[in-house]
Amino acid sequence: MKVAKLFSWLPGLLALAAVLCTAVAPGRIHGFEVDKFGRMPVLEGGRIKPLDSVARNALLMIRGKQSVPFQGRSLGPDEWMLDVLFRPQAADAQPVFVINDPDLLGLMGLKLSSNRYFSFETLLPHLQEIQSQAQKADALEAVQRTRFQNAVVNLFQRVMLYNQLQNTVQLADSAGLFMELQDLGSPQAGQRHQNLAQTARFRPLPPLPGQSPDAWLNTGEALDAAAAGAPHPALQSLAIVGASYVAGDAALFNRGVAELQGLTANIRPQALRHANSEILFNRIQPFYLGMVIYVLALLTLFTSWLWRRDLLQPAAFSLLGAGAVVHTAGLVSRILLQGRPPVTNLYSSAVFVGWAAVILGIILERMYRKGFGTAVAAAAGFASLIIAHHLAMEGDTMEMMRAVLDSNFWLATHVVSITIGYSGTFLAGTIAIAYTLRKHIAPVLDPATTKALVAMTYGIVCFALLFSFVGTVLGGIWADQSWGRFWGWDPKENGALLIVLWNAIILHCRWGRYIEEKGLMAMAIFGNIITSLSWFGVNMLGVGLHSYGFMDQAFWSLAAFIGSQLVLIAFCLIPRRFWAPAASR
Amino acid sequence: MIKRFLVRCWNVLASLQVTIFALALLMALVVLCTLAQTELGTLGAVNTYMRSMVVWRKFRGLATPLPLFPGGALVGLVLVFNLTAALVNRFDFNLRKLGLWVVHAGLILLVAGEFATGAFQVETRMVIEQGQTVNYLESYRQMELAVTDQTDPAHQVVYSIPEPLLRRHAAVNLPGTPLTMNVKRFFPNAELAPRAPSDPPTPATMGVGAGVRITETAPAASDSEMNNTSAFIEPLAGNHSYGTWLVSTALGAPQSFIHEGRTYGLAMRPRRYELPYSVTLKKFSHDVYPGTSIPKNFSSLVHLSNPARGEERDVLIYMNQPLRYDGKAFYQASYGKGDTLSILQVVTNPGWMLPYVSCLLITLGLLGHFGITLFNALKARQAGQETP
Repeated sequence: MKVAKLFSWLPGLLALAAVLCTAVAPGRIHGFEVDKFGRMPVLEGGRIKPLDSVARNALLMIRGKQSVPFQGRSLGPDEWMLDVLFRPQAADAQPVFVINDPDLLGLMGLKLSSNRYFSFETLLPHLQEIQSQAQKADALEAVQRTRFQNAVVNLFQRVMLYNQLQNTVQLADSAGLFMELQDLGSPQAGQRHQNLAQTARFRPLPPLPGQSPDAWLNTGEALDAAAAGAPHPALQSLAIVGASYVAGDAALFNRGVAELQGLTANIRPQALRHANSEILFNRIQPFYLGMVIYVLALLTLFTSWLWRRDLLQPAAFSLLGAGAVVHTAGLVSRILLQGRPPVTNLYSSAVFVGWAAVILGIILERMYRKGFGTAVAAAAGFASLIIAHHLAMEGDTMEMMRAVLDSNFWLATHVVSITIGYSGTFLAGTIAIAYTLRKHIAPVLDPATTKALVAMTYGIVCFALLFSFVGTVLGGIWADQSWGRFWGWDPKENGALLIVLWNAIILHCRWGRYIEEKGLMAMAIFGNIITSLSWFGVNMLGVGLHSYGFMDQAFWSLAAFIGSQLVLIAFCLIPRRFWAPAASR
Repeated sequence: MIKRFLVRCWNVLASLQVTIFALALLMALVVLCTLAQTELGTLGAVNTYMRSMVVWRKFRGLATPLPLFPGGALVGLVLVFNLTAALVNRFDFNLRKLGLWVVHAGLILLVAGEFATGAFQVETRMVIEQGQTVNYLESYRQMELAVTDQTDPAHQVVYSIPEPLLRRHAAVNLPGTPLTMNVKRFFPNAELAPRAPSDPPTPATMGVGAGVRITETAPAASDSEMNNTSAFIEPLAGNHSYGTWLVSTALGAPQSFIHEGRTYGLAMRPRRYELPYSVTLKKFSHDVYPGTSIPKNFSSLVHLSNPARGEERDVLIYMNQPLRYDGKAFYQASYGKGDTLSILQVVTNPGWMLPYVSCLLITLGLLGHFGITLFNALKARQAGQETP
């Protein structure tokens, strides 16, 4: 008995141990301390972050992945960033631009093939054409563009980002920062500094003691200051890092990086500490690992229904617990790093919806112990983290909040309640799906389990109604505080109202006994459709005050999701014996 | 017989089926209203679907629009009656159902609040430049014809004719003067262009209007556009006409005529509401996050001066922090002129407290009801586990 209990905890503990292993810092690459370089704090998009985050986000936006396979090796984000910053010609040869649109490939005379990644060199001859097409498409509203137009606008934005990065520390077509420092007095230098200051993507030089903590400098500004006789102490070290990287001098590179780090530790220790914590978060990728663990939990549970249920069901639960621990740790780190409540944008809402569903699922499993709590929690956690994974391609997921959203109180109350409401509605829908599948697949239906499933769904619908209502109303109060209208019939508000109305309809139908267990389940699945429309669908309309999360490519995924739910509703409504041969019915 | 029929009607009105049906209709309306916003703008869609009794739709080939769907106001009314009737019908006071009663009373209040907003809410704005003092609000949906006696620049007298009066094409007397304004034609929205020689003749005989071609257009649908409200006006003094003038919000140049030595200016402008106090913009700030153009905060430091009440104080109006004063709320809405001009949205809504109260009621009611249900369920489960 004891052994069996121990065994059931083992998978979860092993998973956690594996997660901890990823936290170990990687070693040197060809003798270069690339990881240390990635820890350098910089100011980008209004916040201080390690250069590693800039590199990862840029690579995600441009390539959709966090690494580049090149010449038989896999380049990490920091190594790629070094090439982009200091060896522009080398970076231009690396296949980093992902292009999926066949028309866009056709524009460049390329054929659709299994290779979807192209280097900047390949794009170079077509840049003029891409730019003119993108500018034409850019004049249209995002909703009115064709697929090709969206693709070309998107590609142009990525090219711009790449170009900005290449011209941040030094101009890509110049001899490098080191030469720039020797050449401060030449007549063209001023113009070059100005160009650099304009294209710079991030600001690598921390404010000196006594200056405002926001006064980070980009290299162009720092070169101007140096020409005026006030060189920033870190500028020389940055130049050495670049020159030694190009020359392949690992010892000098490492010394330069150490100097930079020492300097930052002296003048802005807090920035360096923040960068170090964020690096850890970047390296562990808790949401990605959480997703993997949820899949393992789900597979273990499925196996448990076929073999050794006594052993595997607790094992699946322990894996779910491990996933929840990693997920929670990731969520808490984000809150600490950002200094914000958990939900600030579409990406974090996906992470949070999954988290709340997992916690609810764990509570249900502890209450009923049928394995269904584990199944729906793992499925919901996995699905939401997959969605979050895809949403991360849009850029920095810890972006700054625009003026009207800059209110921790309302983000913590309204946004969190609404998001918990989404979680609840999705969880009820997921339980209903589990009910449907079980009805058609399970060889024997145990009435106690059926009763438990119905009770779970009903309880979760009540829970979802409470939170979506409170969240909607708090949103109204926020709107009254910020622009004087309690209710403006804005699309996002309407979406939230739809969830409230739908949950209210389900409960009233139940109270009036117009629906039995089958009807309740079918309606709960329809709740998935309503919630997905309210969460993502309204962003596709591109109107209203909440249209901050516009996405163009997600339309078809959403349509497919809605289709699948409709099929499931049909399955839910047809009787169990539908599949039996006509004679035996 | 009649009594039995009435009782039946009452029972139908109080039934749960009507509730569910009305909720479903409301969902459909919300979906339609949301989708229509891409075409009609938020305000247009809300007026068509939500604030109307019936949704009308024009069909090709038919002169009159046909009723297509019950409107939001009708569904809201049905829900309120249904709820009230249900509360009356099933009123058995029971502590276990207390939560539900509170929830539904709160809901009635919420719908009532939305009706009050639709009926009484006035949205205006205040546009102030840094250093300027303003003692009036401007509507951005309704215009007025302002006839200003400018004879004494230090003491101007304004006679204003609001839009509803202009729409009636009436002749309006200016009280205390011998003048009458004859509204010859009114355009809720119009396009103005310089007149070409080939254009048809214009009724305007005086002022800039003689050289302008005017074409009537549909009223602006989206919330960001403003109407170019225009009219042809003929000032009359007894039988003497001062000619026909074109006035429009699209015309910037001042126009005036002289009657018995007094100069009268003519202008179409956003309707003004005078305030018994004044607001001075001391400083407008537009903060961005370091190194970006992402806005971090907008704020207006204003000085509020109300001599009647002896109030003189500074107020900082910023995001999510309006000034509530004199039954109005002043919100930071927009800005312009290189960050030296601030636009405050000013909302008067006597029912603004209703949603707050109803939300509190509903939240407490839901918490109470679901709490009791959960508690009972857990107790029953425990009892069930102990008995076998």
